[in-house]
Amino acid sequence: MSSSDIFDVLNIQQRSKSPGSTGSPTPTGSGNGNRGRPPVIGMKRELYSLLGENQPPVVIEPSSKFKEKLSAITKPSAWTNAPFRANSKLVLHHWVKGTKESVGTEPQESQYAKLNVHLTIPKFNKEEYETFMAKTNEQDVADQGVTSATSTESSSEPWSFDEVEYLFNLCRRYDMKWFVIHDRYSFDKPRSLEDLKEKFYQVCRKYFSTNSPNDPIMENLNYPREKEIERKKYLQRLLARSAAEIAEEEALIIESRKFEMAAKKTLNERESLLRLLDSPNSDQSVSQYMTSQGISQLYGSLLSDKSKKRKHNSNVPENPWMKQQQQFAQQRQQLQQLQDKRQDGQEVGSPRKTKKQKQEIQTAMKRKAESVYAEHLLKNFSPEERDALGVVTHGDKLPPGVYLRSSKISTFKPALQNKVVAILQELNLPIRPAMPTTKVIDRHEELLKRITTLVDLKKHLDKLEAEKAIAK
Amino acid sequence: MPPGVSKRIKTLSVSRPIIYGNTAKKFGEVRPPNAPAEHTHLWTIFVRGPQNEDISYIIKKVVFKLHDTYPNATRTIEAPPFELTETGWGEFEINIKIHFVDEANEKMVSFYHHLRLHPYYNIKWEPQKPNDEISSIFYDELVFNEPNEEFFKILMSRPGSLLPSNKTETCVFSKQLEQEEIDRINMGIDKVDEEIKELKEKIAKQLGN
Repeated sequence: MSSSDIFDVLNIQQRSKSPGSTGSPTPTGSGNGNRGRPPVIGMKRELYSLLGENQPPVVIEPSSKFKEKLSAITKPSAWTNAPFRANSKLVLHHWVKGTKESVGTEPQESQYAKLNVHLTIPKFNKEEYETFMAKTNEQDVADQGVTSATSTESSSEPWSFDEVEYLFNLCRRYDMKWFVIHDRYSFDKPRSLEDLKEKFYQVCRKYFSTNSPNDPIMENLNYPREKEIERKKYLQRLLARSAAEIAEEEALIIESRKFEMAAKKTLNERESLLRLLDSPNSDQSVSQYMTSQGISQLYGSLLSDKSKKRKHNSNVPENPWMKQQQQFAQQRQQLQQLQDKRQDGQEVGSPRKTKKQKQEIQTAMKRKAESVYAEHLLKNFSPEERDALGVVTHGDKLPPGVYLRSSKISTFKPALQNKVVAILQELNLPIRPAMPTTKVIDRHEELLKRITTLVDLKKHLDKLEAEKAIAK
Repeated sequence: MPPGVSKRIKTLSVSRPIIYGNTAKKFGEVRPPNAPAEHTHLWTIFVRGPQNEDISYIIKKVVFKLHDTYPNATRTIEAPPFELTETGWGEFEINIKIHFVDEANEKMVSFYHHLRLHPYYNIKWEPQKPNDEISSIFYDELVFNEPNEEFFKILMSRPGSLLPSNKTETCVFSKQLEQEEIDRINMGIDKVDEEIKELKEKIAKQLGN
């Protein structure tokens, strides 16, 4: 598909499509405007047809197929194939910078010779060996490291001086490369790598302790044979694992990681949840809520706490300025009241209090008068007659009207009522007396009063016990 | 009624005992002629004096509000005896409204009674025999607090608060029963007092520690 097709589809008029050149928009067409450009063929033509009119103004074409010629001005430097001493006997040749004259014909020491360093391994003859071995044996009896070494040594084959010398020579020759030493080692008896190392370090230790006891190298001359054997065993076992075992181990590790991550996540979530809910125990560790029981307990405590806490939280932060203003207003009011009082006191003599008192006295007097009247009405009746008539005078202020006596039995808040009912049932007493006469109701009310005291006391006792349990 | 004179006598109250409740009987061989087919019991609800004395001198009428499924559920009894006999198959709450005589100038008193048809405490389960009467009867007292003078005179005209001294077949509610109840309650009070004493000691101990 060429760009002209796209233009067709999108219904876009091509700018270059002048009435003069109605042919193809490709540069290869017979357009007059493309005369200066070289004809394009093959793949290039296709490319141009895709590009359409948006051709780059300059066609970049490689002018030459070859690398640019070197234009060096400097003279080549002189190199010489010179001999050098690779080791004490062997002489080799290599190229060095410089003319023959400057290098010279004498074979030189190799510049890498200085890196060829050898360890200084102690040398001793038989007498020396025997003296320091015997001497230090006595000295180091108390030394834990040496005694253990000697004990392990005693278990294996004994070493002669020749063998020790042979070992030290090998060490010197192979530069303490233990695997090579072990490989080349062929004295009378076969020795393990650990045997060789142990003997070497033991001898070295004794040598240094006699010749230069303050040498800092002494500390590095311990060779824990047993540990080394164990380490190698572990390593061997690790390397001997089968592919299946390795895969299983990796899977287990991944699983444990997952568990750890999940635990961490839930712990974080719960912590943030606690912070959000502003729980009273949020400063404590979350681990106590990790069990389902703990969570339910937390939920309960939050529910019960919610009402108080939320209200407190919803308070807008106090504006100190407002607070102060309120205080000022209060003070002003108080001052005014004080002044008013003073004036009143001078003129009337504190009527505020006496007004109420007067009212009380008035009502009391009225009540008295009324009861006197009621008594007057009943003065002709004896107590028995009054009882028979069911007539009573009472000093109380009760709303006038008619009611059923049983409807005046005290009731309480639902929670308390339930407890009272339970206690009444325990006492085998009915909630509503069978005969609600004045006397019965009086006693019943008295009973109810006692029961509420009882319930109250029980509550207090429970509280005290709970507090004590917590204190324990 | 003449208004104006109805001045209330303060700090004085007059009480009158009443008995209300219901009796019920299972149908025997003979069914009441116009009882619906599903009805099984004949019951009577009443409001009366403890000894069946006349209480019409204070009560003008009693209104029983039956279950809505009864035709004309609100039944008004305007003359003694204040009782209503009906048939039915189920128990329900009956609303009783006592209206007082005009002289009293009092509002009516309204309360509920649970119509009882079946014996509840039948330990040995036997089918209910016909003619075994079930009754659910309550004692209560109407208290007229601060009645007006006219009504007070009416109340004083009769010793309406007199109770028989001993329990009888026809009237269980008596001074004897009252005394028994008072004794029971007093025993209850004693027990509660004991418990209060114990609790107080315990609390003192707790506080002492």
